[in-house]
Amino acid sequence: MMGLLGAGLGAGLITLGAGIGIGLIGKGAVESIARQPEASGDIRGAMILTAAFIEGVALFAAVITAILALGISV
Amino acid sequence: MKQALRSTLFSILLLMLCHPAAIAQDQSTQAEKEPVIDVMGKVVDHDYLTLVGVKIYLPRILIVDGELYVFGNTNSAIESGEFQEIDGYLVRADGTPVSLDMSITSHLMYVWFGIIFSLIFTIWAARRYSRGVGTTTEPRGVTQNIFEVLFIFIRDDIAKEYIPADKYHKYINYLFSVFLVITFMNLFGLLPWGVSATADLTVTATLAGITFFITQFNGSKDYWQHIFMFPGVHPLIRIILTPVEILGIFTKPFALAIRLFANMLSGKILIICILGLIFIFTDIFGPLIGVSSSVVWVSLTAALYILKAFIALLQAYIFTLLSAVFIGMAAEEHNHEDHETNVATATEVNH
Repeated sequence: MMGLLGAGLGAGLITLGAGIGIGLIGKGAVESIARQPEASGDIRGAMILTAAFIEGVALFAAVITAILALGISV
Repeated sequence: MKQALRSTLFSILLLMLCHPAAIAQDQSTQAEKEPVIDVMGKVVDHDYLTLVGVKIYLPRILIVDGELYVFGNTNSAIESGEFQEIDGYLVRADGTPVSLDMSITSHLMYVWFGIIFSLIFTIWAARRYSRGVGTTTEPRGVTQNIFEVLFIFIRDDIAKEYIPADKYHKYINYLFSVFLVITFMNLFGLLPWGVSATADLTVTATLAGITFFITQFNGSKDYWQHIFMFPGVHPLIRIILTPVEILGIFTKPFALAIRLFANMLSGKILIICILGLIFIFTDIFGPLIGVSSSVVWVSLTAALYILKAFIALLQAYIFTLLSAVFIGMAAEEHNHEDHETNVATATEVNH
């Protein structure tokens, strides 16, 4: 039961953190593309790369919440 | 005509999405103790392969205390009297646990399917190019055009961009094959009875391990110098920096493995969860609302399927991209003249 509670809270916090992080990347990318439309290809590549790093950290946490929720004892 | 065909295909797709739920209901009527939907059971590895609804049991290869046992499937292993099943695991009849389980599982089969499909695709394309189609003339046909787009994308936008110009051609083979294999493995998960092998940590860890070894074996002198003897910093700072850098060697492929694994797994679990809402609604509000609400959940699942198809390609791209970035970071040779002049002027000032 406590595991489920922790998993629920954890999932919310992960979404919060990853959402803020990826939102900031998107903000930066859109602003840069608006300023310099000719560099949009490079900016898009850098955006996906950085978003992938944030996503990786978020998914570490997501795996932990899945383990908690399913009650797998490691 | 075309419209009718399209709507028929769409209904078949929707029916296929309902299929796992229907099976789950059958099972629940047979055995009351079984959970309605076994979430992990749809995701974890099995000793059988489901092809078009037919279960094909796969061979078991077990090593117990240095002795090799080979059986046609799990049942024949139990029937031979040499093994017994305890909690879903095979144990030798005298109680010795299996020391190494080398059995062929469904995920391994799907890895092989991915490799076979990529081999067929690339060998077919290579034969066409060697016959002159695409080199002397323009590429012909949809498949060859797809191949060319993918290959040029991997070569120009990933390899050339992130790996030093004099070395990148050495790594295109690896990057392109890993991209194709991961794409095929991810897309197999979208088939009605398919399994995406990349939703298994052992598969992704193996792929990340290959990237890890390629990165380390092709590391330049500068790469190792930057790990053990970071140039241009105070010796005391190296005490902190060196362990962090050594840790960084291992966290990079670890993150690579977890990212692909968690992305594919979460897609599956999400679809199972949303289909599970049908049963939750039936339990709470009764069968009428439960069944009528399934229209919403099934169409949401169809939308998620499209998202999953996009994620399958995106994750293959990200895996390839990050592999190229890590290999490129290790293979790069820095120009150290700047550091040396800085150190030289600093010593001169001290004198």
